[in-house]
Amino acid sequence: MSSYTLGILMLAGINLVAVLGLSLLTGFTGLFSFGHAGFMAIGAYVGAFLTVSPARDIPGLGLPLIVGVLGGGAAAGLVSWLVGRITLNLKGDYFCIATLGFGEATRLVFNNVQRFGGSRGWPLGATRDMGDIWIILAVDVVAVILVANLVKSRHGRNMIAIREEELASQVTGIDVFRYKMVSLVISAILAGAAGVLLGNYLTFINPKIFNLTKSTELIIIVIFGGLGSISGSVLGALLLTALPEVLRFFEIWRLVFYGAAVILIMISRPQGLLGGMELTPSGIRKILAERRARLALRAEAARETAEGGSR
Amino acid sequence: MSGILEIRGLTKRFGGLAAVDNVSFSVREGGISGLIGPNGAGKTTIFNLITGVYKVTEGTVSFRGSEITNLEPFRIADRGITRTFQNIRLFKNLSVYENVLTACHMSARYTIPEALFRLPRFVREEKALRAKAEDLLSIMGLTERRDVQANNLPYGLQRRLEIVRALALDPKLLLLDEPAAGMNPDETEQLMHLISGIRERFKLTVLVIEHHMDLVMRLCESIVVLNFGQKLAEGTADEIRGDPRVVEAYLGSGEN
Amino acid sequence: MIQFLQQLTNGLSIGSVYALMAVGYSLVYSIMNFSNFAHGGVIMLGAYFGFFGLTTFGLPFAAAFVLATAGTALVAIVLERIAYKPLRDRKAPFLYFIISAMGASMFLENFVIATIGPNPKPYPPIIPREPIAIGQLALGRLDLIMFLVSAGCLALLVLFIERTRLGKAIQASAYNMKASALMGINTDSVVILVFALGGFLAGVAGVFYGMKYMVYPTIGNITLKSFIAAVFGGLGSLPGAVLGSVLLGVIETLVAGYLSSQYRDLIAFVILIGVLIVRPTGIMGKTVEDKA
Repeated sequence: MSSYTLGILMLAGINLVAVLGLSLLTGFTGLFSFGHAGFMAIGAYVGAFLTVSPARDIPGLGLPLIVGVLGGGAAAGLVSWLVGRITLNLKGDYFCIATLGFGEATRLVFNNVQRFGGSRGWPLGATRDMGDIWIILAVDVVAVILVANLVKSRHGRNMIAIREEELASQVTGIDVFRYKMVSLVISAILAGAAGVLLGNYLTFINPKIFNLTKSTELIIIVIFGGLGSISGSVLGALLLTALPEVLRFFEIWRLVFYGAAVILIMISRPQGLLGGMELTPSGIRKILAERRARLALRAEAARETAEGGSR
Repeated sequence: MSGILEIRGLTKRFGGLAAVDNVSFSVREGGISGLIGPNGAGKTTIFNLITGVYKVTEGTVSFRGSEITNLEPFRIADRGITRTFQNIRLFKNLSVYENVLTACHMSARYTIPEALFRLPRFVREEKALRAKAEDLLSIMGLTERRDVQANNLPYGLQRRLEIVRALALDPKLLLLDEPAAGMNPDETEQLMHLISGIRERFKLTVLVIEHHMDLVMRLCESIVVLNFGQKLAEGTADEIRGDPRVVEAYLGSGEN
Repeated sequence: MIQFLQQLTNGLSIGSVYALMAVGYSLVYSIMNFSNFAHGGVIMLGAYFGFFGLTTFGLPFAAAFVLATAGTALVAIVLERIAYKPLRDRKAPFLYFIISAMGASMFLENFVIATIGPNPKPYPPIIPREPIAIGQLALGRLDLIMFLVSAGCLALLVLFIERTRLGKAIQASAYNMKASALMGINTDSVVILVFALGGFLAGVAGVFYGMKYMVYPTIGNITLKSFIAAVFGGLGSLPGAVLGSVLLGVIETLVAGYLSSQYRDLIAFVILIGVLIVRPTGIMGKTVEDKA
């Protein structure tokens, strides 16, 4: 594999980590965040502090990357818990604006932290280590398995119930606030871990990388892949990371195209590629069963109308 | 005499307007009670106050001897009170089975880490949850519709599914908000049998809001009549039928 | 004291521009119940329309102003037709509106970057720089005009909403869209009207903001401030939006003047968090219990 292809694959793998978390929050729990770049930033900076060699201009602790990933994820998770305490009781739009505000505020804060390079940024290491693809893949696999296990449990079903009908969830005995919090914290941990991996991949971080556009890009991948589908998120991360990289000449038009595509998806196919469906054996069985049930119901309704007409 | 549910001096004000005004009544354990009254009498508001959806302005709600006033809705559900909604609120994009399976969640105890790593208790309890959901569907005659998406169900079955979802919590008190709304006489008749049937089978207490007078009179052992947020009368079907105040409230408002 | 008054007048002038943005945004929110995140893109286009009107077409200021505001009103309507109308017809959940709005915002911003380029451009000098002196107080001419025109536009808007039939239709729809439709109000026209008004105000804001600072594709990002101002004042409330904006403008300027300009942008978020903790419905918003 050429190092160019490998690079794209690494980037897709990194995006996937963040997207999986957002998929849980948005696709399964029904909460929209426009601030996840903020959690990525927190992860990236904490991760950098843990991993950058003490010998560099802006020194770190020089610990292994995996420690950085865990530490960055944990830090982002912790902050998200605080953010959640304040924002999760808010209704739809307020939550969106609050997360948007959080993301931008985080960026502004890092702009002013001179210890971490401020707005000029922080050079982390000399060269990119292509061997890190294995770490990225490992994080991907672990994240996919854990998120998939979660959404197929009673806890995951409770999150889906909140997305579907919040009031009914409450009277069904679901602690809505708690499940929203769990979902937010897990998504932030994954965003934080992705931030660490991104910094490591770029060998340089500055606050501008984690702006509103980054948050929006993540959301777009989730929507493109399909809300409520892990396979969709995986596919979305791969396709939407690779596409613009392959079509290099497209570069400045990429985001124009993204914007138009998002509107198009919303007005014509809001379920995205695989909304609510999974490309796994049990997922496909479920799709087929639902289809059979729908057809049976329709046939029955048709028969009843026919009988009614003949009477 | 104290009942399974005791409501004392219950008041709810929206701004200056009292939607429910100093209402007291009790619901006998194991019975089917009715809550009736003209539109805007405050029936649904009382359900919302009992289930914690609205915050109580004044008064108390006690359930099985302990006060539950202003607890969060999920805690009230945990105590054993569950309900249906006047305008059906199902998990629309989920299948019939998934709707019921979701609501079975309180029968399992496994934690989030146990779910993340598929530990033995998760596997064991999850199997039990699935069996329970299938059982409920078969008892309530929805097995054939198991894989249909909830919002594709015919109206009558949506109402039925909402009741099944409520039963999945193993409630002790079931609140039904106009379960026969939008049903034809045939379906209403079926529903009556269903309600008496589940009361027997699940050892439930039922409190029902209903506009179909016929249904209320035949089904309910005791009835509370509300008008303009206040309690107008309380008694057996016969007592209520003969009460001139009730007749006037209904004729006055031009209903039934 | 003089310094304080000086800061206060600066704050009022920038606050009045925030108000133009926040009112346009709140207007749409009051009818459609979703955050129109594409509003920033429309404001940005307004700034460019004005800029090209003055430079490329060499129009006099008044004509460029009309061109910019008419242009943004039109853009806002087209945006509504393309990005929101199909969702309204389908009765889609509000989340889809927000995503569609984000897509539109992304499209507009990057379309301008791809075609015109990312570099900031200064407006030609139209209003003399030297301030008017009132005693020891120096009032920027542009600041003064910004304040007066913004206040004028908002006053006209209030008159329009309170005194005309169309305005009454907007009020009714904001109160209850479904009931208004039943009462024979053409709610589709109301939506178009609201977007046209919001677009017009966005144009005014864009031109003034461009004149005060520069024109660049990401101008729209400052609408984040107007969202915050609207939340501060109470989402969906027009007087709340004005009050929130003016307060935010003044607080920002005072913070920049007395503490450090680095904290100027951060203070908005501090306010946002404060409001969300203490009173999420804002200053003028009302608390509503979910109807079950």
